[in-house]
Parts: sequence; structure tokens; C-alpha cells
Amino acid sequence: MPARNAKQWEKVPGKLSSGEYVDSRIYSDRDIFEEEITKIFSKVWTPVCHESELPDPYSFRTMTVAREPVLVVRGADNQIRAFLNVCPHRGNMLENRPSGSFEEASPSGAPKHITCMFHAWQFDMKGNCAHISRATEGYQDRLECKDVGLRRLRCEVKYGGFVWVTLNDGIGQTVEEWAGGAFDCMQKSLDAEPLEVFHYHKAIIPCNYKLWHDTNSEFYHDYLHYHNRVTGFNDSYFARKNIGFDNGHVNVGSFEVQYDEYEGFESREELSFPHLPTNHWEMIDFFPGVNFNLRGSALRCDIMTPLGPDKVMIEFRGLGLKRDTPEERLTRQRHHNSIWGPFGRNLHEDLLAVTTQQATMSEWADKRRILHGRHERDADGDPTIHDEEGMRHFYEAWGQWMDRWPGDPELSYEEGQKRKAA
Amino acid sequence: MSDNNIAERVRGTIYQASLCLDEARWEDWLGLCHDEFYYAIRAFSPEINVDMTYLDGKRADMVTLTEMLPKHNSDNSPLARHTVVYTVDVDEAQQTASAVSSFTVMKTELDGINSHLLAGESNVFLVGKYRDQFRIESGEPLFSERIVQLDTRRLDKGSHWPI
Ligand code: FES
Ligand SMILES: [Fe+2]
Repeated sequence: MPARNAKQWEKVPGKLSSGEYVDSRIYSDRDIFEEEITKIFSKVWTPVCHESELPDPYSFRTMTVAREPVLVVRGADNQIRAFLNVCPHRGNMLENRPSGSFEEASPSGAPKHITCMFHAWQFDMKGNCAHISRATEGYQDRLECKDVGLRRLRCEVKYGGFVWVTLNDGIGQTVEEWAGGAFDCMQKSLDAEPLEVFHYHKAIIPCNYKLWHDTNSEFYHDYLHYHNRVTGFNDSYFARKNIGFDNGHVNVGSFEVQYDEYEGFESREELSFPHLPTNHWEMIDFFPGVNFNLRGSALRCDIMTPLGPDKVMIEFRGLGLKRDTPEERLTRQRHHNSIWGPFGRNLHEDLLAVTTQQATMSEWADKRRILHGRHERDADGDPTIHDEEGMRHFYEAWGQWMDRWPGDPELSYEEGQKRKAA
Repeated sequence: MSDNNIAERVRGTIYQASLCLDEARWEDWLGLCHDEFYYAIRAFSPEINVDMTYLDGKRADMVTLTEMLPKHNSDNSPLARHTVVYTVDVDEAQQTASAVSSFTVMKTELDGINSHLLAGESNVFLVGKYRDQFRIESGEPLFSERIVQLDTRRLDKGSHWPI
């Protein structure tokens, strides 16, 4: 067909049906974004850091979940706990550093305590209030330590030592239940022995978080990457499939990467993770904004913190085995960073593409159809890696959480389904 | 040759390298580097308390990397360095030297965004130090090592290019 006029442009192209595309407004509309924060991000489990970032009793890390500041600490009993990073007195942020230890005294407070620098209220590692400055002078018997503990958050350490947190006390599911089997593909490798984070960097990208999740989920964009064009295109590569799990998670199955095809890249064989066949690759696109990517010798984890309809912070971590020798660690680091580092071959291309993708979807831009209608089968009729089932699975879950139809967000999920059936 | 002269040449080589990198003249840049050259971009993360090496390689790796650039999709927004050489130390035998420079890399947007709206805008991309080692051969300094020590760790889109 020649280039289309406005009316033709608005029509669903070809014979694609509802459910095989989304409306671009889900990537740009401010109300939809606000709804995602309240209906999804403040309700689900999300990994916030790794246990190796809290190496000793009294170690802490700070982060943000669904706009709420969060503080994760390791107690004297070695238990990791999470709290809102908010002082119950006048709402100051309790701890401002990204990481550190409460073992030493802070300028305003005692050792082994979380101290709010403002008026020096102090808390222990379990979140109990331990000290209110001039308490009886000011509050007499109207307010005591027992009334002003920190707000504790549900917290679990799970799947290779990631620290998971939810703001939702009533979530009714453990992390394992929430994962719904999505980790089966790599759990044995992750839990065989302790892991350690060796890489961290962050990016704030002018794109909707779902565009990053889509890009992590769809492999049709192999064409974007020179590295994939030369290492990936073989039968075993195409034989990978997207497998959907409850709650919108997706696993992309294993295949062997032909590293030797890319000049300057060596095989990842000798440092493969435990139980992972050499040079294999497993990936989990975890709902709504996390990605675990175990590729031969290194585990990558992306955690997204949505900041606006067209703004997301992505934290990139690389992990190896805790027992690595310095040489092994350096090799893993090279394997990880040569592709996925901030100066690596693929990451820059992916981030470039989602930036220019969002550039066509500014807040009040015309609505567009963003397609994910590929059903690509191999000779045996099995879906291949370029089938877009992964994205379709994600958007089904998204539609249900939001009670909106992704292909037309003005419709409820049920209305959208009816229209699809019709 | 006096130490001062050699130090002056070391300074000149660092500034030459900055120009080559600014203008993406990779071959010319590598021409300033010894066969044994080693390059690394490093940063310390106060989040995970780890010294990280974001990219590293020997001269041959940097040759491969730069020759591969046309096959990659990249943000082609030019990067311009403001480099200031702080210290140069020449060893007694005048065979090696080391230098510390401070740099700021500015990025002038071209094609990594909506170019109609944003092309031409300059922003700070990276801040850090160059920690350089030199071999002096017949009075001419050649880079034997460059460690790019980044302060900036919010790296956004990152880059395919040596810094
Ligand atoms: S606000 Fe924290 S002690 Fe006052
Ligand atoms: Fe990619």
C-alpha cells in the first residue's frame, strides 16, 4: 500500500486484531501513569537491591519504591528488614546516603542506631523507636517511644539473594507465589551458592518504563544490534520461546550463543553459572518492570523506577559468584560490560532506540498503534524467539491490573475483551 | 632534553589526544599510543561500594572496537572534552612519565533524540580524571596506559566511544 492518508492511518493495519497492538497513549498519558503507580507499583513485590550490598550487621541501602523512600537494613541478628525511610516525627528522610553502616555514631546520634539528624529521634534495626529527645519534657505521658516505631515493610530475600520489598501489607502472596514459577528456569543456578554484585550504574531515560520492558521482552529487535546479527541468527537461537506465567511474567528459553562469531569476544564457557549449560542464556521479564538476564558467565538485573509517563530510572546490576577470584571477577566483568555496560555494545543501542521511540509519543501527540502482532512459528509449529507472545502476555496482565484495554485505554478490560471477541 | 621539555611534550600529547577524541579521529588517537597500551574506564560506586571497570582493553582491543563502530547504531552527538593537565611527573631516566588531568565531557545533541527540538543543546555528560602513563622514546611520549576515572555514574544512554 502506498503511504496512507489520515483516515487510513487511523485504521488497524492489515488483518491484525485487537490484542495485537497497544494504543500509544499508554506510554504518554499522565493519568494512566498515575494510575499505574497506585494500582500496580505500590501493590506488587519488587527487588530493590542485593544482599551483598548489605555485607555486615548494621549495613543499609536506600531507594525509592512507587515514590516512597525506602530504607533496607541488616540487623544485628543478620536479618534484612525494610522500612519507610521517613521519620515519624516531622517526616524528615531518616537516611540520605545511598549505602553505609549504622554501626558508628552519626553526628546527631548513638552508634548502632538509625538517627534522624533533625531532632535526633533514634531507632533500632528492627524499627523500634529507642529514643525521643527530651520526651517527657515535651510530651509528658501523651507520646512515648512505643507509639512511634518506623513503618515496616514486608521484605523477603529470595532468588539468588535479591532483597524484595512491597508497600502493600495486604498483598496476600509471598515472593515465590507472586513469581508464579517464572524463576524455575534459573533458580537452580541462582541459588547454588552466594552471589555478589560487581556492577552498578543507573540511567534516567526519557521514555516510558514499559518501552524498556518491551525492549527487554522482544527479540525481533535483533536487527538493532550488530552483536546479535552476527552471534544470534542460527536455528537454536530461533528455537527459543516466550513462556508466560501468572501475574504477567515471561521467561525466554535457553540457547547457545556463538560468541566466537563476534570479533573480540571470547566464549563464556569456563565461567558459566552453576547448573547453566555452557554459553546458554535465560531471561525473565518480571512484571511490571524488572528483568533478570542470565547469560553464560554473568547475571544482569534491571530494576525500573518509573518517574513520569516519559521518564524512567533504570538501575543496572551485574552479578557473579561470591567466591570468584579477582581474575575470574575481572573476566565476568568484561563479559558483562562489553555488551551490557554503559560503554558496551548493546546497551547503548537499546537505550538509544527507546529514547527515539518515545520521541514520537509526547504527552499530547496523536494516538498511534504500537504493534505486537507477530506469531512466528518454526517448521514444527512452535513459536520462535521473534514471536511477540511475551509482550502480549505482559499487556494482558497490565490490562487486568489497570482495568483498561491496552489497545484502547478508554475501554475497561472487559469491554476490550468483548470487542476483541466480536 | 630537560625534564621540563619532556613534561611539556607530555602535556602536548594529552591535549592532542583530547582533540583526536573530540573529533572521533580514532586512528590518530591510537597513533599516540604505544603497542602495549592499556585503556580502562573505571568508577567507584558508593551504592554497592565496589571499584568497577566499565570498559577495558589493550591497544588491539581498542582498534577492534573503533573499527567496529560503523556497524553499530550509535548516538552521534559530538562529545567535546575540556581537559586540564594538573600534574606531570617524569622519571629520572626520562623513560616514563605519568600525568593526572581533569576532564569534563560535554555532549552537544545531534541525533539521539528529537533533533528538531533538541539538536544543538550542550550538556555535561561526564566528569572525571585521566590517569595517564607514558613511555618516552627518543624524547617522544606515547601513552602506555590511560585510566579514565569517572565521577559521573548516572550515565543515561552511555556511549560506544572511548572517552
Ligand atoms: S523530623 Fe526526625 S526527629 Fe524530627
Ligand atoms: Fe537489545
